[in-house]
Amino acid sequence: MSRFRSRAATAHDLPTLARWLGREVTTGQNPDECLWVAQASDPAQPLRAMLRLRRAIGLDLPRVSYHVGCVVHAAPTLKLFHRQRTLLMGNDHTGASELCDIAWEQAEVPLAEQSAALHCLVQAALQQLRLHRATYAARLIVELPGQRHSDGQSPFWQGLGRHFYGGDPAAAALAHGPQWRSHVAALLPRQTLVSSFLSPAAQAAIAQVAPWALPLREVLEDAGLRYSHHVNVEDGGPVLEAATDDLVARA
Amino acid sequence: MTNPQPNYLFRSAGPQDLDAFERIAAASATGITTLPADRSLLLDKLERSAQAFASADDSSGEEIYLFVVEDLAAAGGARVIGTSGIAARAGFADRFYSYRNEMVVHRSSVLQASNRIHTLHLCHDLTGYTLLTSFYIEPAYANTLAPQLLSRARLLFIAEFSERFSDRIAAETPGLSDESGRCPFWDAVGRRFFDMDYPQIESLSGGRSKSFIAELMPHSPIYVPLLPEDAQWAIGQMHPEGELPSAILDDEGFDSETYVDIFDGGPTAEARVATLKSVVGSRRMIVQPAAPGRTAAPMAPAAAVAPTAPMAPTFPPTALALISSTQRASFVALVAPAPHSEDDRLALDSSSLALLQLQPGQSVRWASLDLPAGGTEDHGDRA
Repeated sequence: MSRFRSRAATAHDLPTLARWLGREVTTGQNPDECLWVAQASDPAQPLRAMLRLRRAIGLDLPRVSYHVGCVVHAAPTLKLFHRQRTLLMGNDHTGASELCDIAWEQAEVPLAEQSAALHCLVQAALQQLRLHRATYAARLIVELPGQRHSDGQSPFWQGLGRHFYGGDPAAAALAHGPQWRSHVAALLPRQTLVSSFLSPAAQAAIAQVAPWALPLREVLEDAGLRYSHHVNVEDGGPVLEAATDDLVARA
Repeated sequence: MTNPQPNYLFRSAGPQDLDAFERIAAASATGITTLPADRSLLLDKLERSAQAFASADDSSGEEIYLFVVEDLAAAGGARVIGTSGIAARAGFADRFYSYRNEMVVHRSSVLQASNRIHTLHLCHDLTGYTLLTSFYIEPAYANTLAPQLLSRARLLFIAEFSERFSDRIAAETPGLSDESGRCPFWDAVGRRFFDMDYPQIESLSGGRSKSFIAELMPHSPIYVPLLPEDAQWAIGQMHPEGELPSAILDDEGFDSETYVDIFDGGPTAEARVATLKSVVGSRRMIVQPAAPGRTAAPMAPAAAVAPTAPMAPTFPPTALALISSTQRASFVALVAPAPHSEDDRLALDSSSLALLQLQPGQSVRWASLDLPAGGTEDHGDRA
């Protein structure tokens, strides 16, 4: 673990970070945000990972997610007991603090090293939360990437979002940044959806993490974050959540 | 030539019609009528119906009224060729479930996209409506006046005894299903919550309240774009066997755009009773015997009637009319080309009077029967 150290990102880092995220990155002169990078102890080594801590989300543009609930249809006389998952769009994480823009070098990097670099960044964020606890919200969330086919298509989007927005999600994300999900929410169902109306592939993708992001999930769960029964509206990836006080106490 | 005698008689049904009902319940496809293919259940329905017709009590809303139409000229004697019914209040003592079609428009100005989304809302809107049920006519009679009489005479019954019915009325039309009972709407919606075939669920609901099953369905709206295409297409589509009764109700002024059946997606038409054609146009008349020879063929124009004939009333030319008795227990109705005067005296031939069990001077309920063009091929004569 000690092989990596974290530091605030500088203008010098930006080309690498932009390559990871696939879009332009700012270092964040914004007082509400901190952006760190992880680098091997040897400064000649390339950057390994990045992570941004945001003070509060959803206060300008609404942040959307589906809450994953459960409804039971039971009829003892018919020996019927059906448990169904439900999806309900909402802005449940409004005001929460967030870890976002988490990206890291994966090509030819052993999983243990990916985890170590991510761990180093998460610790930096926890340190920041501890030192400036009053600045941050009571809850901290992280959106994890959902499952995709090899061609980049998300089975969750194919089974749900596609029926309500005919445009290409990748193109929309390119044009509008990650906030495109807030815009597309206006086109998505507002009422509770019973998941069995979705395709089997879309149902199977609910709250599933992309395999390449499993090291990140492990690091976050080690730090104390847990699945919050929310998923993102585009690819169905899970939203992890923790009470900030609990995280700070553990760190 | 027009037969002066009515060919078809509409009358209240009772236990004596059990054999005919059993035959019709067996002949009609799944979900076409609300008649169970079970003799004891049918007998129970017929007994309830006879009770409803005869009861001196005020309406509780629980009543069902079953009717038959007979072919009076059938070879071998008068024969039941169709059934229809009225349930006084849909979902009596429980709830009557439907899906209501609603459109929501989703719009994102940033993404420059706008979508009109069809949704289905599980609702109880039609609870307490009077419900037309159990319509079945033998296919050979589809183009005669029999189905017109069978469907519309119910409305005269409702108009005559309006205190026993709601001021709003609904009628279910069967949705799409194939001969094996496969129903695309059920497969896409209900089956996700009941792992049963449509005929199974139909027989289940025949034996118990349909709302029992509806309560096990999700109560949030269904977003139609998420359904398979064949199920989307089936929403509001009727089974071919429903086309004739549905066309009659359309002509009466029913609206079938708003509601669909929660099981098969067939349209549920609804209307205000007071706006229906046969109700708006119906009124009480006093019967009097027609002058002999006056009932055949269309009546001569008034001007052509010899003004010197003092005993023959100078009624205007006649069109077909629905004529019913005003007795609840022995309700009968028929179609006849009966002329009437401006002061609502109706000339009826002796055979019609006998069929209606009326004496001259008694009241009938009358409504003009203006069939839409092409609606019926013959006018009383079945070759």
